[in-house]
Amino acid sequence: MKLIKAIVRPNKVDDVKDALGRVSLPGMTVTEVRGHGKQKGHTAIYRGKEYDVSLLPKMEIEVVVPDNLVDEAVAAIITAARTGEIGDGRVFVIPVEQSYRIRTGERSDI
Amino acid sequence: MATSLSAVESAREELSAAAARGEGGRGALGRFSDRVDDFLQRLLADAPPTAAPCVVVALGGYGRRQLCLHSDVDVLLLFDGDIGEAEEKRVRAILHPLWDARFSVGHQIRQIGDFAELEIDNPEFLLALLDARAVAGDAPLVDRIAARVRSPAAHARILDALNRLIDERHARFNDTFYQLEPDVKDAPGALRDVWAARTIAAITDPALIDRGAADRARLDDAEEFMMRLRSMLHVEHRRNHNVLNHEAQERIARLMGYTGAPRQQVERLMGDYFRHARAVSRSLEAIRQTAPEPVGANLVRSRDGIRFVDLERAERHPETWLSLFQAALDAGTAVTGGTLAWIEERIDRHAPEAFFPAPADRAALVAFLRPRAGLYARLSEMHDCGLLGRMFPEFQAIFCRVVRDFYHKYTVDEHTLLTIRNLERLATRAVKGRERFGALLDDLAQPELLVLSLLFHDVGKWRDEDHVEESARMALQMMRRLDLPDESIAVVDFLISHHTRMSLIAFRRDTEDPEIVRQLADLVGIEERLKMLCLLTLVDIEAVNPDTLTPWREELLWRLYVDTYNHLTLEYADERIEHEESGLRALVAGRPGDVTDEEIARFVEGLPRRYLQLFPSDEIYRHVRLARGMRPDDVHADLKRKDSLWELTVATLDKPFLFSNICGALSSFGMDIARGHAMTNPNGLVLDVFQFTDQERFFELNATGRDQFLAVLEDVIAGRADVTERLRAREQSVLYRRRPGVTSTPAVIHADNLSSRRYTILDLVADNVLGLLHRVSRAISRHGCDVGLVLISTEGQKAIDVFHITQAGAKLTDAAIAALTADIHRTLEA
Repeated sequence: MKLIKAIVRPNKVDDVKDALGRVSLPGMTVTEVRGHGKQKGHTAIYRGKEYDVSLLPKMEIEVVVPDNLVDEAVAAIITAARTGEIGDGRVFVIPVEQSYRIRTGERSDI
Repeated sequence: MATSLSAVESAREELSAAAARGEGGRGALGRFSDRVDDFLQRLLADAPPTAAPCVVVALGGYGRRQLCLHSDVDVLLLFDGDIGEAEEKRVRAILHPLWDARFSVGHQIRQIGDFAELEIDNPEFLLALLDARAVAGDAPLVDRIAARVRSPAAHARILDALNRLIDERHARFNDTFYQLEPDVKDAPGALRDVWAARTIAAITDPALIDRGAADRARLDDAEEFMMRLRSMLHVEHRRNHNVLNHEAQERIARLMGYTGAPRQQVERLMGDYFRHARAVSRSLEAIRQTAPEPVGANLVRSRDGIRFVDLERAERHPETWLSLFQAALDAGTAVTGGTLAWIEERIDRHAPEAFFPAPADRAALVAFLRPRAGLYARLSEMHDCGLLGRMFPEFQAIFCRVVRDFYHKYTVDEHTLLTIRNLERLATRAVKGRERFGALLDDLAQPELLVLSLLFHDVGKWRDEDHVEESARMALQMMRRLDLPDESIAVVDFLISHHTRMSLIAFRRDTEDPEIVRQLADLVGIEERLKMLCLLTLVDIEAVNPDTLTPWREELLWRLYVDTYNHLTLEYADERIEHEESGLRALVAGRPGDVTDEEIARFVEGLPRRYLQLFPSDEIYRHVRLARGMRPDDVHADLKRKDSLWELTVATLDKPFLFSNICGALSSFGMDIARGHAMTNPNGLVLDVFQFTDQERFFELNATGRDQFLAVLEDVIAGRADVTERLRAREQSVLYRRRPGVTSTPAVIHADNLSSRRYTILDLVADNVLGLLHRVSRAISRHGCDVGLVLISTEGQKAIDVFHITQAGAKLTDAAIAALTADIHRTLEA
């Protein structure tokens, strides 16, 4: 069981959601985030004044998947979120030790 | 004449006799006033005639028919025309016999023209006019001045003055009516307070006189008692002396038939006096505390808000109903609950058009929508009582309309009103961190059109299909009813038709893609529409539910705005109107008979493409006409009023220092340039349009001001006058000197050689001081630069100007930019 955490462009969320749906992973958590990686943002000018836009708005998608679907899910995310330009984002895969359903208290595989 | 004098004397004797019996009250004074009326009527009839009609008007106590034995006879001799020799003779023929009859006369001689402007700085006279009564002559003349005195503005002034006079008078008596030797006219609780209570009620709310401590019959009793006393005092003292001193008390108590020992008689008399004085005092106090303040025609403000004074009149004039809400907005208060219920009961009796039948009513409705504190609350009141839905049946269609989706948390009507509340909060800077959006709102020329768009952006949701198209259709219908100008209709139609567009792009498209930004820039065309669409998007999202507008989304929207704004201001000069441009074809197709196809093409081709979006067709045809037959040194200028601003359009052939000279000419007349555009076409034809405020009211105060200005403008452009010299004197004026303690913000100049293919762009943000544009553009010209496009705007006290310039037909080198910006900085600091 793995947690896949993907930081993507805001306009790519719907594409990623659809792609994960196609590999039978309908559940996900989406968070609005701001940050920068290699794409360190730039200095914008508005009305003659510079202002810093180094923290760029991104979307963070979290999805927990069984080990056997990890590669497929990562590939789906990358394909859907990719533009080829700097700033496309990152995908992290993190091990998950246990998972519980809050409603029933049962331990589950996902 | 002798007969008249003897009639006056016998009237005096009758009043004296009645007074001595303790019967010199209202009836006796009324009869005496009538006899003086007879005397004046006779005098006027016997006086030599005049060309100008004339009326003798009784004022003050005499106007109220309460003339005491030795009171001043206050009269106004009013002529409908100039007062010449004949009129003066007539005046003498009236006044001399009055003096001969031993009257103390307070007279005013006026012509009716004097009342065109009411003397609001002379409230005592206005107060006297409230009791004006025609005694002899042409009575309708009095009605003409009375109508002016009855205006809400006059009433408000009178009320202020009357309250001040009451306080001053009471202070002279140490603010107590328990005077051992009271003045029965002036003391607290005496006759003047009775009249004051009646006057305040009359000009604010006549019903006050019967409410609570104020009781009409009780006041009448007190007045009758004090008048009798006053009449006796006049007989006693043989002059206009109103103090009930100890000696007078003994005699008067006896004459009025009080029983007991002399001391007891006095105690009983004074007991009655204090009882009456207390009643008057309490009445006046209660009326002063509860008297509503006149705030508009038939409108007063009381503690619970704004309401109509005369409901019957209001019912006959539904076009005045909006004024309730406007007054409440102006006063920062509500419309009273009772008034809202009153409207609700009657709302169905009137057709929508009844609320704005005349152009002025329609203009007032649009002006009402200007975003500011309280607008949401007032619109909500209008909505709750049914007025909003009756005025706009389209809005009624979404009354409590429920549309179920994942996001919306409120009914459609409330969502709509909340968008306006959110806009209002931007205007009042109520939300911390959102000042940047508030600044956009400040910058809008017609923010009320944004509110109108918000009001209608979702009305199409009354049905389940695509609401955007339906909203636009319904808004168009409403705007035709309101008779809005085509330019305004185009703005509202654009905003409603594209109200979901910017959020779609900001949150669902790759806004880092320049093509996406370019498409949005193409869609909006000009900065003004971009700002409006951005604000509409922001407040619309925020009104969906409390969590929709996250700082993250706000940031995305802002960045999209900035990128699009930069595209519009930095790259737009590159995009020129070409021969086959669809906008140009439409212009040619719709041209009026006096403008030819060639003229349009010659004028418009090569101007920046924004030109077609900035100006409606009629304006463009006007520009084409203005540019006709242009020769070197010709200046074709047009100056017109545009709402609160003036607009100057200048067409001429380009030459060095041209832009600087035009700005300088404007500043030399104290004009404050708010926004503008300067453009050049490839034939060297320059079109400059400036909107400015005439802060010193030069055009208003000088009949030939416009001609003077245009003559100076031509002289300056032709080089016959030195504008720098003209400006110097004004810049040194104390009016424009920087106030001590107010520090200036250093100017920011940013040069950009990348954004435009053809131009170097100078972005200037500086304090908006007199002559700023002139000085900056002069420096630009001094450096041998040509100005291709200038965008001028102001944001509060800040001027934001963007110059697109070239040097010898090319962009500036880095060295040239450095030299120019240094020079501009030096110029601004000087």
